[in-house]
Amino acid sequence: MARIPEFIKETGQVTRFTGRFFSTGLKPRFEVKELLAQCYFIGYQSLPLIGLTGFIMGLVLTMQLRPSLVSYGVESELPVMVGIAIVREIGPVITALIFAGKIGSSIGAELGSMKVTEQIDAMEVSGTNPFKYLVATRVLAATLMLPILTILSDAISLFGAYVGVNIRSVTSVRLFFTQVFDSLSFGDLAPAVIKTFFFGFAVGIVGCYKGYNSSKGTRGVGTSANTAVVLASVLIFIIDLLAVQLTDVLGLN
Amino acid sequence: MEISTGSSMSEKKIPEDRETVIEIEHLCKRFGENVVLNDFNLKVYRNENVVVLGKSGAGKSVLIKCVIGLLKPDSGTIRVLGKNVPELDHEDLDKIRTKIGFLFQGNALYDSMTVRENLEFSLRRQWIKLPQTEVDALVKEALGNVSLPHTADMMPAELSGGMLKRIALARTLILKPEIILYDEPTTGLDPVTAREIDNLIIALQKKYHTASIIISHDMNCVKNTADRVVLLLDGKCYAEGTYRELEEAADENIKQFFE
Amino acid sequence: MTNQGENNIKLGLFTLAGLVVLIFSFYMIGKNHNLFGGDFEVKVRFSNLNGLIAGNNVLYSGIQAGTVKNVELLNDTAIEVTLSIDPKVSAFIHQDAIATIGTEGLMGNKIINIQPGTGKGLVINKGDYLKTRKAVNTDAMLQTLDKTNNNIALISEELKNTVTRINQSKIFEVLNDQELGSGLRSSLANMHQATADARDMAANLDLMVKGIRGGKGAAGLLLTDTAFAGNLNNAMQNVRMVSDNANQATIRLNTLINSVNQDLSSKNGSMYVLLKDSVVAGQLRSTMKNIQDGTAGFNQNMEALKHNFLLRGYFKNLEKQKNKKQ
Repeated sequence: MARIPEFIKETGQVTRFTGRFFSTGLKPRFEVKELLAQCYFIGYQSLPLIGLTGFIMGLVLTMQLRPSLVSYGVESELPVMVGIAIVREIGPVITALIFAGKIGSSIGAELGSMKVTEQIDAMEVSGTNPFKYLVATRVLAATLMLPILTILSDAISLFGAYVGVNIRSVTSVRLFFTQVFDSLSFGDLAPAVIKTFFFGFAVGIVGCYKGYNSSKGTRGVGTSANTAVVLASVLIFIIDLLAVQLTDVLGLN
Repeated sequence: MEISTGSSMSEKKIPEDRETVIEIEHLCKRFGENVVLNDFNLKVYRNENVVVLGKSGAGKSVLIKCVIGLLKPDSGTIRVLGKNVPELDHEDLDKIRTKIGFLFQGNALYDSMTVRENLEFSLRRQWIKLPQTEVDALVKEALGNVSLPHTADMMPAELSGGMLKRIALARTLILKPEIILYDEPTTGLDPVTAREIDNLIIALQKKYHTASIIISHDMNCVKNTADRVVLLLDGKCYAEGTYRELEEAADENIKQFFE
Repeated sequence: MTNQGENNIKLGLFTLAGLVVLIFSFYMIGKNHNLFGGDFEVKVRFSNLNGLIAGNNVLYSGIQAGTVKNVELLNDTAIEVTLSIDPKVSAFIHQDAIATIGTEGLMGNKIINIQPGTGKGLVINKGDYLKTRKAVNTDAMLQTLDKTNNNIALISEELKNTVTRINQSKIFEVLNDQELGSGLRSSLANMHQATADARDMAANLDLMVKGIRGGKGAAGLLLTDTAFAGNLNNAMQNVRMVSDNANQATIRLNTLINSVNQDLSSKNGSMYVLLKDSVVAGQLRSTMKNIQDGTAGFNQNMEALKHNFLLRGYFKNLEKQKNKKQ
């Protein structure tokens, strides 16, 4: 029971932290160079991992779905099913979760250890706003890079699905992608892409918050990295829930 | 009692024309129930090394973090170069910070950057467009000051503790600060390296005419570097004087540091 | 960060790749769904959309022709659907084309199918209304199918019974009978003969009729003699008169019976009084009793007479004659 006020307090702190991101983090004198460096690290260097998981996901999903579709006699709808599943839900969410695991923990641990070794203080002392330099760049980079990663992951997943379809039957690339894109509408793709911005933002802000407020010691750093991943993953699902309800209300489903 | 004697002693020693760079009055800082600083007063003059002596957890680090604005005191004023630090907004604080160097206890070098980048970082942060040649010259000078010119392209993880301390010092010095705050500069170093650091502190003070607050409980360091020693006890300035004055004091609380 | 420039190139490539895939996807989807198509609009009114929504595809003879742009509820029975049609296709749609709501596949999205009409009408213009046909609702279809199935089951059951009965019936034996064939054939031959005879007869008859028309033979004379015809006419009139009289007589008889009947049923009639009046009946009964009494007295008188000495001899003779006869 004693944890409830603590939870509420922490929620308030995260909210304040987010507010600080918008009030100070997005003010001019942008750390463009650092932002690009973070984009490179957060985006480009995550691509192999995300691509690999995406490919396997597409392949496995296809192979898992096939028996059910065969039993319903709609095996030819396999690309359609897989395409919609990947583009609408599995691509964004799995990518965001992998992203949270890789980037959330790395941001949490990096900022946590910087906090513990007083590097953040050192930055502040040297006339740099560490919030701008460390937090704003990472949150922005995560927000901007996750959608791109998701799109590329979707594409790689679909390729994996194509390979999966071809394990048991034969279809041409052209027919496969025609089928996939025929079944998709803007209402499928647009919300899926838009929500990944929020996923990325959540991963970035949670990682930064946890790292920035890390307690002293190596244990504090470990806890920051760990809780950053856990909280970011939970937030991703909550945002996903909100997104699906919102798209439902907007009639995009 | 002791405070009054202390101040009278310093007044005797220091000429009237010397410029006051740091003036701390009635400084109070508490963390929850734990009162760390309670009505602390201190003046630091230009071209002077003041050593703050105290037990661990006596609030020495808190004191200098309040001076540079990393911590906000509960009450009291801290005038640095005529400006009250706790009341400054972020921009003015950044300006005043360019004139203050801070040597962290754990060096706080950015371990994701090379030594050169560590040094350049502070320079670049000031948003002054310096030509690259000038930046290079400044880096070279700073590294030369700490006699480690060859380390520029190394990562902090590749360097030893003493070297890191010197690099950290070089980084502090690159902005040519008027005030340097040292947070336990010799802690965790072997006596030989510690001596080197002491000598470096003195040499730099002579070279750049800085005012310094040195926090330490390493008595060798205190002895070497201190122009004036302030004993921090129970959140107050318990005693003040030269190293020799305090060493000879009869007070038990003072004596325990000099044994 | 010594190779910052190279990193930026990689980052740029990465970002571009993402954007290219995104734009490509949007283009592909847009191409299929014709979102960037023209603004050629036609309207259709349906009473039931079966789940059709804005953005669904419109097919013309099975070719992607546009999308559903807007759905508007006009009143409780009419829903106006605005279709955005590709101008390239709209040039082929005539005004008598028929729009129906269908489904992509068995359970896919709803679509609007435009089927070409006779092709004789004018080409549609912007804002024209297309004709509709009631959509084939899958549910309704399945329900009907269910009924049909039940009916078929019943019918097949009946059919089975019938077939079994036929199998067991005599007809089948007859059909199976080998001799019947030849019998049938000979009957057919007989029939054939009979029809031939009939034809001859008909020919003779024809001749005869022609003869009669020409006044040949007795019948011909009869038919052609005008005086005889007049007599015959008179005779016929007499016959008609007789029958008329008979008819009248019957009618009268009928009315008589009716009146009697009425008499009987109404209380005023004398017959009714006779038959139904209880007083009269009582009197009649007493009269009858008196008569009975009278005859009984007469009987006694007669018995007394028999024993009278004057008449005893006569009765003895009568008895003797009786005995003799026996």
